[in-house]
Amino acid sequence: MKRFAGWIMASPATLAVVIFLILPVAATISVTFTDPRGLLGPYIWYFESGFRRTVLWRTFEIAFATTVISLFVGFLTAYVVSKSPPWLKSILIVLAVFPLLTGVVVRSFAWLIVLGRNGILNNFMQWIGLTDAPVTMLYTQGAVIVAMVYLFVPLMVLVLVGVLDNIPDDLVQASASLGATPVGTFRQVILPLATPGLIVGAVLVFTASFTSYATPHLLGGDQQMVMGTFLHQRAMVAFDWAGASTIAAIMVVVTIVTVLVMTRIARRLNPMAV
Amino acid sequence: MTTRVNPFLIAFAALVYLFLLGPLIIIFGASVSDTSYLTFPPQGFTLHWFENIWNISAFRRTIVTSLQIAFLATGLALIIGIPAAYALNRYRIQLPGWLSTLFILPILVPEIVLGFSLLRSINVGAGFPIFMTLLIGHTLLVLPYVVRVISAALSSFDFSIEEAAISLGSPPLKTFFTIVLPNVRAGVIAAFILAFITSINDVSVSLFLTGPGISTLPIQILAHVEQFFDPTIASVSVLLMVLTVIVMAIVERTLGLTIVAK
Amino acid sequence: MSLPLSIQSVTAHYGTTKVLEDLSLDIRDGELVSLLGASGCGKTTTLRLVAGFLEPTSGTIRLGDKDLTRLPAHARNIGLVFQNYALFPHLSVRENVGFGLKQRGVASADRNRKATQMLERVGLAHLADRLPAALSGGQKQRVALARALVIEPPLLMFDEPLSNLDAKLRVDMRVEIRQLQRANGTTSVYVTHDQEEAFSISDRVAIMSEGRIMQLDTPETLYQRPANAFVARFVGFENLISMQVETREGGSVVARTADGAKLKLSAQRFGEIPDSFVLATRPDGLLVTSDPSTGGIPATLGLRTYLGRAYQYQCETGAGHLVANGPLSSPLSIGEKAWLVPVIDQCAILAPE
Repeated sequence: MKRFAGWIMASPATLAVVIFLILPVAATISVTFTDPRGLLGPYIWYFESGFRRTVLWRTFEIAFATTVISLFVGFLTAYVVSKSPPWLKSILIVLAVFPLLTGVVVRSFAWLIVLGRNGILNNFMQWIGLTDAPVTMLYTQGAVIVAMVYLFVPLMVLVLVGVLDNIPDDLVQASASLGATPVGTFRQVILPLATPGLIVGAVLVFTASFTSYATPHLLGGDQQMVMGTFLHQRAMVAFDWAGASTIAAIMVVVTIVTVLVMTRIARRLNPMAV
Repeated sequence: MTTRVNPFLIAFAALVYLFLLGPLIIIFGASVSDTSYLTFPPQGFTLHWFENIWNISAFRRTIVTSLQIAFLATGLALIIGIPAAYALNRYRIQLPGWLSTLFILPILVPEIVLGFSLLRSINVGAGFPIFMTLLIGHTLLVLPYVVRVISAALSSFDFSIEEAAISLGSPPLKTFFTIVLPNVRAGVIAAFILAFITSINDVSVSLFLTGPGISTLPIQILAHVEQFFDPTIASVSVLLMVLTVIVMAIVERTLGLTIVAK
Repeated sequence: MSLPLSIQSVTAHYGTTKVLEDLSLDIRDGELVSLLGASGCGKTTTLRLVAGFLEPTSGTIRLGDKDLTRLPAHARNIGLVFQNYALFPHLSVRENVGFGLKQRGVASADRNRKATQMLERVGLAHLADRLPAALSGGQKQRVALARALVIEPPLLMFDEPLSNLDAKLRVDMRVEIRQLQRANGTTSVYVTHDQEEAFSISDRVAIMSEGRIMQLDTPETLYQRPANAFVARFVGFENLISMQVETREGGSVVARTADGAKLKLSAQRFGEIPDSFVLATRPDGLLVTSDPSTGGIPATLGLRTYLGRAYQYQCETGAGHLVANGPLSSPLSIGEKAWLVPVIDQCAILAPE
């Protein structure tokens, strides 16, 4: 009895994940390999079309740009937050948590008001005389990237504040005592120690933006179709479930490969691993 | 222990925070604008748009559905997640290492793929009603947060306290409720809140699992934005943010916010 | 009420690793027995088996007439004191002490009275309404003790109860534990890795290694007459010298070491002496002298260290490396020739390994 106690307690959750996650997702993926068009038929179908290739490539571009910008912005901000005096630090953390707890829809919708033809940014640019006529910003790749960066910077800041706080102050002092300048210490001590954390943050942001739906739907529309919106369009508008399953399979593969490869790299790079 | 930080960096961080909070302030402004279109700064002041939420029956209905789903899914995830988290900590030697990975799978698998797969296999394939499929989807969606947060709380729990209670004659199940659970209370509350907020805000899983008369608030917002670009959306968003602020205040008062940041 | 504990041929595994092998141990009614050994020797495993947190693969555990082997832990009625106290952090001191009584259905008024009485006995009645977090280490340990005693268990078990306290408090607490145990006459098992603690507190001590009991005896016997090389080394017999009996006459024998040093031993002290045996001495029982006429073991002196009461020498001899003490009055230096003389009544005799 005692030998199985752990299994008994873990079994409801285990069964739930197996029955309602693993099996359905495996079923979605497996239909792409039993397609009447032949073994890799659905994938040949996918990559035949220039439009579909563009959707995949665009999704990569947006996810990559979002990740790089969020890393850069998030890391510098996290550095300032982690070096702030305690009272300010807790305020700054709360201010980063708040947007994170606000839904994706609300936060993406905010950018509709900012970037629209009669939006704040256009009004402002016309007011200072930068342009005469409203500039089209909505439904561009840039709009999607800006809104996604907005979505993920708080997450990055919180992850990286945690990472930076874990770097002992002694190391920074030791580095200074050995003659390193502040910039030198940052480059030679802080950055290498933060790298595994940076990778974890990058993986989170990359996979989340690669598979996002609401933000590209609201700010990119049909003009900037990405994998998430494309999947929804195939499944719910075109009722092409075979196509939707193929898109789903590609998303799962990209996500899992990214996570596996990057966590492996992060583990190898982690100098503080026990 | 203060390290001097480059003033340019400080200015940069200040701009980032402006960037983070600005759009949320804009939503607040737009929600009270006395115009039929969304604009900022607001022109005039009215609470008409908040009233309007209640006048649109789709919003009324979806708010109720979202709350139902969020409470039920969080409850279910706690019911199956707490024993799982307990087992992972208490019987670590007995259970294989991949089991803890299994419980974070719902985070690894793209939500939108989960939603679509549940529609295919569970709703259409197995014939489960939409509401039930939606509930299953949300339960899985929030399960990883429940398992992770409660595991974290249990990892600092000293299990000899549980043994002490048992040795004093308290049966194991009773001991779990009277000794273990009260000591990881903070973790349970944090898990509840995190799960609840995740469920309330979800789009990608719910996207496929809506049907006649059943939809969630975020999906309804998306649908509304496509047809009307009026401040009702801003006022709904404000409602959601106020809800978030209330929840954050409760967390801050009871546990401190660092628990969410983990 | 107090009962004898009997562990018969118990074997236990953690997963597939065997941690206890065919262990038997009988503890008499009212006796305090310590399980002493390094970490991983099986002492805590034995305690957890008796408490019911582990199930043995085979063997039986009995308390009085009752077979505990398959009884769930909460039904065993054993008082446990944990290393880290294991106080319930969300309950007050009084509620902690009353917890076991509550499980036994004792009414709340009665429970409070008994808990308060017990707290008075350990001198903590004034802290009854505090939460455990507000107590010092020593106070926590007293609460843990009170909590285990108040249910008047037929068996008390202590799992390294003092190892989180500082040295001074440790000595005070062990006296206190012993006094309470004596006063109640409760059969007790006391797990520790601290030899001084085990010897000072126990009626008998079981020295354990690799899941087996190497010797179970009174502290005096263990200290003077270890039964084997493991126990001898454990209680400080650092020098183990192989010897052969040369002649036997009447009650005594003459034996010699490998390099010819001779010793006379009386059977009166050591009992039956086998033809070949190991002479065990502590450094205190092996005297360094520069006088060859003493007939000791010839040695070359190595490093000398100062102990306060004596000098200690690392010595190279034909019988191997030995550690011996010499008088403060005549320090010798590295490289000098010397002779090592065993003090017979501080020696022990062991069977050859």
